[in-house]
Amino acid sequence: MAHPRFTGGRFLGTGIGLRVPHYDHILAEKPAVGWFEIISENYMVRGGRPLAVLDAILDQYEVVQHGVGLYPGGSGGLDMDHLRRLKELIKRTKTPWISDHLCWGSVDGRMSHDLLPLPYTFEAARKTAENLRIAQDFLEIPLAMENVSSYAEFNDDEMTEWQFLAEVTEAADVGILLDVNNIYVSSVNHGFDPLEYVDFIPPDRVAQIHIAGHSRYQRFIIDTHDHPVIDPVWRLYARAIERCGPTATLLEWDSSIPSFEEVWSEAKKSEDWRRWLVEQKGVGHVEA
Amino acid sequence: MSRLEQLQREFFKALLLPLRGSSRKSTELTPSDEGHAPEFFRIADEIIKPGPELSAAERLELYHRQYWFRILDSLAEDFPVLRRMAGDERFWELIEAYLLERPSQSFTLRHLGEAFADHIEAAPCLDDSRRRWFGGIARIEYAFMKCFECAQSALPEAVDLGDSEIELQEHVQLLRLSYPVDLCWGWQDFTPAEGIEPEIIHIAVWREPSGRSRQERLEAGEVRLLSRLRDGIRLDVLFDELPEPTPSEDDITRWFAKWQGYRWLGVCGKEGAQELDRGIGWEGMDRMSSQAVSMTD
Repeated sequence: MAHPRFTGGRFLGTGIGLRVPHYDHILAEKPAVGWFEIISENYMVRGGRPLAVLDAILDQYEVVQHGVGLYPGGSGGLDMDHLRRLKELIKRTKTPWISDHLCWGSVDGRMSHDLLPLPYTFEAARKTAENLRIAQDFLEIPLAMENVSSYAEFNDDEMTEWQFLAEVTEAADVGILLDVNNIYVSSVNHGFDPLEYVDFIPPDRVAQIHIAGHSRYQRFIIDTHDHPVIDPVWRLYARAIERCGPTATLLEWDSSIPSFEEVWSEAKKSEDWRRWLVEQKGVGHVEA
Repeated sequence: MSRLEQLQREFFKALLLPLRGSSRKSTELTPSDEGHAPEFFRIADEIIKPGPELSAAERLELYHRQYWFRILDSLAEDFPVLRRMAGDERFWELIEAYLLERPSQSFTLRHLGEAFADHIEAAPCLDDSRRRWFGGIARIEYAFMKCFECAQSALPEAVDLGDSEIELQEHVQLLRLSYPVDLCWGWQDFTPAEGIEPEIIHIAVWREPSGRSRQERLEAGEVRLLSRLRDGIRLDVLFDELPEPTPSEDDITRWFAKWQGYRWLGVCGKEGAQELDRGIGWEGMDRMSSQAVSMTD
């Protein structure tokens, strides 16, 4: 189980990403969803409809913020304006923790709008951990780092990705958002054993798990979040919760988004795995 | 410079290189060096490790394409009228040239077009008339985006009109343009523009209570008063010191009624709430997401 300091003491079950095609259904039908994850940057605005929708959702649901623009691996440090906007939003959502990606994405204030891979070096680990400590201190909320899907490795690499993730989160004392789909995607693209990755992760830091689908091409996989979760990713999920215990689990579906019911029923499959874990392995507890 | 900084600068430099010949349309990577600068291959070989299936350059190319696909498509989405008027080929040339010259400087893709109008007005590939027409269209279309996410101050009650400083709502954008570019919203292509002479027009772009954006022409005298309202002013002061040429009392009454009806006025320093109209769709809401961009045909 994640240490409560990484989850703000909250245990959340199954959630899905809050996405535009589902707004009408959610606002009208108020379906029984455990929680929603929002992309922070979509709501870091001064007013207008994004905040009006968010407020309507917050009236009914617990929301967890997930960011795409912190870029903690940036050699130039953090963007303090970004952190200030993030903190404003945190006040509004009362999110129990926030997550972002273990990546970088900008140089001299010019943005890639992508989650770019870091070299797995001790220098990068030190710089990223330093940035994360600053961010967590400033935001005054538990911070969890997500492993990204990657399509490239560097000549400079001095360790594996899972060693790097553990090194950074330990040095910064932040939580982990373990994306088992990303592990699978990177394992195919780079040719490593995804179980070795999952088995290395410090379980008490895993605040949340992401599951998702992806697109397979002839020679590589792209993490497109536009398909159901495939069986090998469910098996990684099972291994992850076997090690980490029942963990807040969120399905990401960002493109070619089907009906709310379809997305929610895919997300709820994670509950079957958690139930199986309790019945077969006696790990964790049955959720209400 | 640290090794990490050096590596990130090199990687970023490769991302910013233009898309190569067929890469915008191809789903599968080829080992071809078609269109790429030698610089791209130098960076790839220097920093990227070849993978089990892809070469170093092919791996870097995945990021390169994702960068370009994401920003091109996002920017194109924000300028539909400009696209219709310029035609597809010229439009894509314009946005690629703009993004090459000025990479994104904001955390959100919504701001990608913030300097697009300036770029168009200096674009050497356009004649002077098109520079001004297309630049004007871009200004209006970017104003739509700006008003989408602005703060809203409280609407004034009767008592506020006498006692409080009144301001123009932040989401009301005032534009001065050198051609009647608002006409383009009713055109299928740019043909009707031939022969139309330059003419200074003033446009307001604002967010309706529903959240939908609108534009409307303004009278010159009206603009002078609205500009003074921008920073907040007591109405007695505003009307005691009228700008030259002095508008008539009838004009002022008519304008003021319109501004109130359109909810353009707010009380300084008093936060208002945005109403949530679910009947107008959700365009433009979810611009950022955490997924990669797929290699679509």
